[in-house]
Amino acid sequence: MRKFALTAVLVFLGGAFLPGLAGDASASISLEKCTLCHGKPEFRKLLVDGQIRDLYVTGDTLKGSVHEKKVCTDCHFDVSEIPHRTRPKRVTCTHCHFKGNKEGAPQSDNVLAYFDSVHGTAIARGNAKAPLCQDCHGSHTILKTKDAGSKVARGNVAETCGKCHMEIYAQFKGSIHGAALAKGIAEVPSCTGCHGEHRIYAHTDPKSTVFPTHVSDQCSKCHASIKIMGKFGIETEQVATYKESFHGVASQFGSRTVANCASCHGVHDIRPPDDPLSMVNPKNVPATCGKCHPGANPNFAVGKIHVDAKNKESGIIYWTATFFKWLTIGTMLALIAHIFLDMYGRTRRLRGER
Amino acid sequence: MSHADLAAGKVTRMSLLFRIQHLLLTLLLTVLAVTGFALMYHENSLAQWIIRLEGGVHNRGIVHRIAAVLLMANLVYHVFYMLLSREGKPELRELFIVRQDIDDFFQSLRYNLGAAKEYPRFGKYGYKEKFQYWGASAGIVLISVTGIMLWAEEFSMVFFPKVVLDLAIVIHGYQGLLAFLILFLWHLYNVHLHPSVFPMNPSWITGKVSAEWMREEHPLEYEKLKGKGLL
Repeated sequence: MRKFALTAVLVFLGGAFLPGLAGDASASISLEKCTLCHGKPEFRKLLVDGQIRDLYVTGDTLKGSVHEKKVCTDCHFDVSEIPHRTRPKRVTCTHCHFKGNKEGAPQSDNVLAYFDSVHGTAIARGNAKAPLCQDCHGSHTILKTKDAGSKVARGNVAETCGKCHMEIYAQFKGSIHGAALAKGIAEVPSCTGCHGEHRIYAHTDPKSTVFPTHVSDQCSKCHASIKIMGKFGIETEQVATYKESFHGVASQFGSRTVANCASCHGVHDIRPPDDPLSMVNPKNVPATCGKCHPGANPNFAVGKIHVDAKNKESGIIYWTATFFKWLTIGTMLALIAHIFLDMYGRTRRLRGER
Repeated sequence: MSHADLAAGKVTRMSLLFRIQHLLLTLLLTVLAVTGFALMYHENSLAQWIIRLEGGVHNRGIVHRIAAVLLMANLVYHVFYMLLSREGKPELRELFIVRQDIDDFFQSLRYNLGAAKEYPRFGKYGYKEKFQYWGASAGIVLISVTGIMLWAEEFSMVFFPKVVLDLAIVIHGYQGLLAFLILFLWHLYNVHLHPSVFPMNPSWITGKVSAEWMREEHPLEYEKLKGKGLL
């Protein structure tokens, strides 16, 4: 123990007077010291709720991850003596990932956005279950986001979110988006496609991309794109016709109670109309409309919902609109002609012509 | 018709009750047009400004429907007044479209083009007034029916499929536009810009027109009044 204290003093002095030479040596505790205990496969802790926390770590744990050149105490920097007497705190990624850091750790404003998000504010309120960086990105096995194996890669992020949002994950897997994602279709949105990544807000927060008045804009990012929808044979006029409808106009002027895309098509459980489980399957339409329109009957399912009066395919609606258009133009021309004739006749009468 | 009027050469054309009905119609149609077109052309920035002025899209609807209810009440009152009252019954008879109106229309065309020597001689209401009156009445009925259907959309959907309501939206909007344009172009020409009345036919406020105007524009009515010794 005395020897350790002496070393500590020397290291401290060295650190103080020779920072360039002794800095690194003093700041980190070597991997071997950690694996003295953590390197034993049976090293685990039984938690109060019966769960087992695996504490087994080897020199290979970080291998292949973006942090493979780091050592334990680079992240677990509150461990200053071995064995540590208290449980190390949860790792704070902003220790390195801050703007202008000397380590060269990638940084962007996303970190700040996270602190404002529903997850970040939940943490700030003291919700221990809310996710920190490592809950989504992984802890020892972090890969780059573009890497298909990353926990936040397109193919994996739903499962990652589903660790906490289990019911929603189950719904999503059954939805058309979930099914397409499982097939590996590149265009289909996973959780983050609609909710955002670090900027996730509660759907009741006006900042949210899925706030009621933002839903149609969010869906239209893909569903109004002929380039994307054309690949799958899906119509793109749905967004435009919605925006022209009573629902769409009220939504654009700020109504939060009026139906948006999700009110009728579902949220995480969106399915194509020919799926019997789809909310917009003709059999289910009365119940879907009935959420807002009490007593909705099968009449609600008769005919097209997304109607464009300017499109010939709308049949009688198109022809009625066209009829009125020409009736109005014709009436106006006739009245203008009549007015001019009237003035012409009067002028001649004034001049005394007959 | 008072002696003072007779002395001043004035003839009553609109009684007080008709003037009130007309004024209500004017005000309510204006409110309905402003609120209605704001919704119909909601992409236009002026329309968006109007909707904000009206307190948002929800309040806009309330204003539109209050005006609509008053307009329909005005219409119902007018129908009963024309059918039952001592003043209304003869007015209604004057407004019936008869063969003569069609002949008058073609004669006025021929006259204006120089093919006929005589301009048609109108009674109290010529074909222009009758076209305006029946056109506006039919328009208001059509727009009221479609409006009520859309207002009570859940009730309507008990009986009709959605396509009928989609039709109602189209008809309601286009009918409103047609009525507005006819009123704006035709009616305002006839009562403001027409050379015989410019700058304004005062009868909608005072109820009276000059006997001279009556003799020029509605000679048959003028002669009828003269025959009764009212002029």
